[in-house]
Amino acid sequence: MVKVEIINGPLDLYLTDNNRTQDGAELVFNGRVRDTEHGNKITYLEYEHYDGMAKAELLQLADKTVKKFPINDLFCKHRIGKVNIGEISLHIIIWSKHRKEGLDAMSWFISELKNSVPIWKWAILEDGSRVPTECKD
Amino acid sequence: MITVKVKCFSQVKYALNKDEVIFELDHGTTTDSLESMIRDNAKGKLDGVRLRVAVNRKYIPEKIELKDGDEIAFIPPVQGG
Repeated sequence: MVKVEIINGPLDLYLTDNNRTQDGAELVFNGRVRDTEHGNKITYLEYEHYDGMAKAELLQLADKTVKKFPINDLFCKHRIGKVNIGEISLHIIIWSKHRKEGLDAMSWFISELKNSVPIWKWAILEDGSRVPTECKD
Repeated sequence: MITVKVKCFSQVKYALNKDEVIFELDHGTTTDSLESMIRDNAKGKLDGVRLRVAVNRKYIPEKIELKDGDEIAFIPPVQGG
């Protein structure tokens, strides 16, 4: 089973599940906001998403991941809007029978998410300016 | 003529200073032609920025002819996580 959510506001983390007697591995990944982006000090990040496409792409990617790897469940939450330094912007949990397939699936899922899901970061710099984080100027 | 809407995100939004732009186009206009118009409007600010194309909220692998009412996004490199 997969579950994906895009949330504007703090995340409630998924709970560990002691009833999963067939899953020997429970992997949790939390992506946090650093205090710098490309060497620039920031005050916070704002995540922008393409409403109507980002969640569909995330769901499609999660479905593809559970088909590609022998894992049982993948749940993912991604924040949008303002995210302060140190806060969690991305939360993923994967359950699998053994650790290797879970670790491989986690790595692949995150790489693909960063390649295809239309979500972007805007850095709010210390001087108050707001710039897309890959912007050249 | 056809009317299409271009949604702007991240570097495209920054370059054009707009959330979206409406275009009146000739029948037969393709996504490639529209991308050229967007890059011209950006006056060099999108030079070197790779843009993927989504039509009606789905990525398209190659250029297509636009239809009246289409919603297009030129997707700069994404940055989730």
